[in-house]
Amino acid sequence: MLIDGESCVGCGSCVPYCPVEAIVLHEGHRNKKQKTYAYINPDDCVECSVCVRASVCPTDAIEEQELEWPRILRKAFSDPLYVHQGTDVPGRGTEEMKTNDVTGRYADGWIGIGMEFGRPGIGTRFRDVDKATRKLTELGVVLEPLNPMTQLIENEKTGELKSEILDEKVLSAIVECVIPADRITTVLTEILRLSDKIETVFSLDLICKVGPDGHIPLLQELNLSGLGCSINGKVNLGLGRPVFAGEPKKE
Amino acid sequence: MTHSLHRAGGFQNLKEDFVVLSMSAKTVNSRGSAKKMKRFFEILERYGPVNYGDMKTGNKFNISRDRIFIEIQDTSILHFVYTDIETVEKVFKELQKADLGLSVVVSGLIGPINEQCSKVGLQMHTVEVSGGIHGKTGMLPGKSILEITTMCGHSMVASRLVEDMIKAIKKRKITLKEASVELAKPCQCGIFNPKRAEYLLGRILDATNPF
Repeated sequence: MLIDGESCVGCGSCVPYCPVEAIVLHEGHRNKKQKTYAYINPDDCVECSVCVRASVCPTDAIEEQELEWPRILRKAFSDPLYVHQGTDVPGRGTEEMKTNDVTGRYADGWIGIGMEFGRPGIGTRFRDVDKATRKLTELGVVLEPLNPMTQLIENEKTGELKSEILDEKVLSAIVECVIPADRITTVLTEILRLSDKIETVFSLDLICKVGPDGHIPLLQELNLSGLGCSINGKVNLGLGRPVFAGEPKKE
Repeated sequence: MTHSLHRAGGFQNLKEDFVVLSMSAKTVNSRGSAKKMKRFFEILERYGPVNYGDMKTGNKFNISRDRIFIEIQDTSILHFVYTDIETVEKVFKELQKADLGLSVVVSGLIGPINEQCSKVGLQMHTVEVSGGIHGKTGMLPGKSILEITTMCGHSMVASRLVEDMIKAIKKRKITLKEASVELAKPCQCGIFNPKRAEYLLGRILDATNPF
């Protein structure tokens, strides 16, 4: 994103809308006149487009630029309307449990884990995400292939992300995996140890299939590990079907 | 994409906050699903959602109802927000009857959702919970601000905007309702709950009012 300093009247209307506080007001010379104008710090900007969509600029001074690799990743992981090419899913690019009744991504006896780097509202560099992909790979955990973060891994044996993306900043990026339920304590212990090694925050997602008797195995595991969990969450109602009745199967 | 998972708050205010969403599975039942998604939209809009939107177009505060509806695609992700579990129960019943075959997910308090599922003869299939926020948590805004900003899981609602709205309300430049709608606009998916925001903003103002 860019603000045209010539057109900007320095009203500051756009400033509070930026989720990562990348817009600042400057005093300086524009058109040979001393004036106040808004400036977007390109290193902090995550290309989420909130400022331009807010439509609060009286002179339409905010512009979207054509983005090239690797900067385009900022938009991909910050603007929820952007559709990830590798998964065809907008947002952060993964269906996770939302379609589990159809895909069977999380089976009985398995637990899904998501680490949402930068969430809520802080943002992250891929350098911190890289610490998680490498740690999980070191633990022998297979990362979810239908997740755009996994698709940015350069070395499958080490979990290292592509080196040219590490300094890019995004609003959030999800590292996702599925593990056998009996490994939850070991894996969570290692994940939580990363807390001291990163320069941002991450929100932890935990997923499991509900047992036939309505039992939620994950909750028992979390109590045993001492982590606990939220009282609210997401529930897949099981109304999905793999193929719609009366329609030909997808080839 | 767990944008409705980490809504911060206590039982009392979360009991007025439920998001119902539907999407097709891209590699399985996506082809030809737009028609069913439109049916989903028609059903859910009848139950008075306080917000709705499609990740392909935007939310009801930025885009007209008709444009959102017309532009529904096979790959759409539709969201509707309700403020009570009784309404959600009615939605469950009608979705069961409609038997669209699309995945449906409800975000909110798991206990009440489970109870309503049992009432209508549904069993929860998969559950996702939050294991909290970790790392440099000192960078986060205060809890009362987070309760508002986390209603947009993609973090499009800036904590600074919330503070700005609070200042504007105090100066009587804007009403609580107007501020809540302004905060709902950046959340493109339409999962931000403006009614709950109104309550939460009011609570912040009460706490800072010296009289």
